[in-house]
Amino acid sequence: MERIAIEMKGIEKKMRRKLIGPIDLKLPQGYVIGLIGENGSGKSTLMHMMLKIIYPDRGGISWFGESYPQEIPWQVRCQIGFVSEKSSSEEDNLTAEEAAEFRAQWYPAWDQTYFEELLGKFKVPRNIKLKKMSKGERRKYEISAALAPKPKLLLLDEPSSGLDPFAWKLMIDELRSYMESGEATILLSTHIVDEVKRLADYVMLLHHGKLHGMAEKDSLMDNWKEVWVNGSPDLAEDLPGIIQLQQDIQGVLRMITTECQATERILQDSGIAVLKTRTLELDEILSLWLKGHLPAGTQSGKGE
Amino acid sequence: MWIPIQLNENSAEPLYHQIESQLRSLIISGQIKEGTLLPSIREFAGGLNCSVITVRRVYQDLESEGLLRTKQGTGTFVAKVGDSQREVFRREAVEEALSSAVDVGLSIKVEEEELKQLFLRILHSKYHPEKGEGPA
Repeated sequence: MERIAIEMKGIEKKMRRKLIGPIDLKLPQGYVIGLIGENGSGKSTLMHMMLKIIYPDRGGISWFGESYPQEIPWQVRCQIGFVSEKSSSEEDNLTAEEAAEFRAQWYPAWDQTYFEELLGKFKVPRNIKLKKMSKGERRKYEISAALAPKPKLLLLDEPSSGLDPFAWKLMIDELRSYMESGEATILLSTHIVDEVKRLADYVMLLHHGKLHGMAEKDSLMDNWKEVWVNGSPDLAEDLPGIIQLQQDIQGVLRMITTECQATERILQDSGIAVLKTRTLELDEILSLWLKGHLPAGTQSGKGE
Repeated sequence: MWIPIQLNENSAEPLYHQIESQLRSLIISGQIKEGTLLPSIREFAGGLNCSVITVRRVYQDLESEGLLRTKQGTGTFVAKVGDSQREVFRREAVEEALSSAVDVGLSIKVEEEELKQLFLRILHSKYHPEKGEGPA
């Protein structure tokens, strides 16, 4: 049976300017889940509820199969790493070493050698206060410090903002090796499509506080395609998942389908030759999805 | 180790299928030798920018075909390929290539006899390049 890192059921939260939910979702353990959504769609609020920084008005959350009506017990909380969108000011007046010393007291599994190795690789400056660091440097410290206790679950809220391309590549590599064990789970909120492309196993879309489903990334790439055939538009009536249709020159029909596998099978069985197939770029897929075209088999509001 | 797999994104063929058939050819043709330790699922997936779900599926399929074996805690290795398996694969690979060549001929309405002559000419020029154009 598939193990679940975090499950949310019927979660609702009224914020000052928006309403989040109702949200049902499951984060399967051992995978990287990319969380995509426009600014203000509720991504950070979702993560804050997963840490009980914010309490939902309605619904239930469970962590590794257990739910906690009060606070998350420390032995569970210390297995969840978090890189927040804005760094907390508590550590502002500490250097990276001092802040690490402080964190190490709280996290039993803190791995100082690993932490030092990460600071070295990321070239995080030593002996200067965290608040004196550039945005990117501070970010690299935050990522290193979140990885050092080898958490079972890592919540990353736009971790790459401020990183230069070299640090970004390094972050991708480090997150991949962190996933090597097969036990760890990452929820990665990002605006960088390439990050999702390189890291994610699943993609989850949040829009105006509602979940527009979760899909396997490769299934999106396999099924959302542009297909050119000889024929007239009425041909598309018998095809599944057609979301765009255009008659090009000389009887060539151009279609975008969300069910390419099924579409091409039907075309083949009907003896209609496919002239060309093109896989949509992930950002094209995401913007069509955002417009309300859901991947086959997903329901709006459900995380399955 | 690095596995030379080339994904074609502009094909209707699903990713797992592309990876699986290329990895299968590499193993059966002997380009990846028996006993070779394959990359971990996460590493392989990272190199191809695809998900671990896809790579796991490929490893499981090839394991049930007897081409791979997984040792708990060590990793996934290339198994011994039988001679008969290799023979079947060799023939199938050629059959498949010839068949798609014929399909091209059919799609542009080349007559059977013309195709046959073309084939013989190409065959001759490949096997006896020194003799020039070959039989007319």
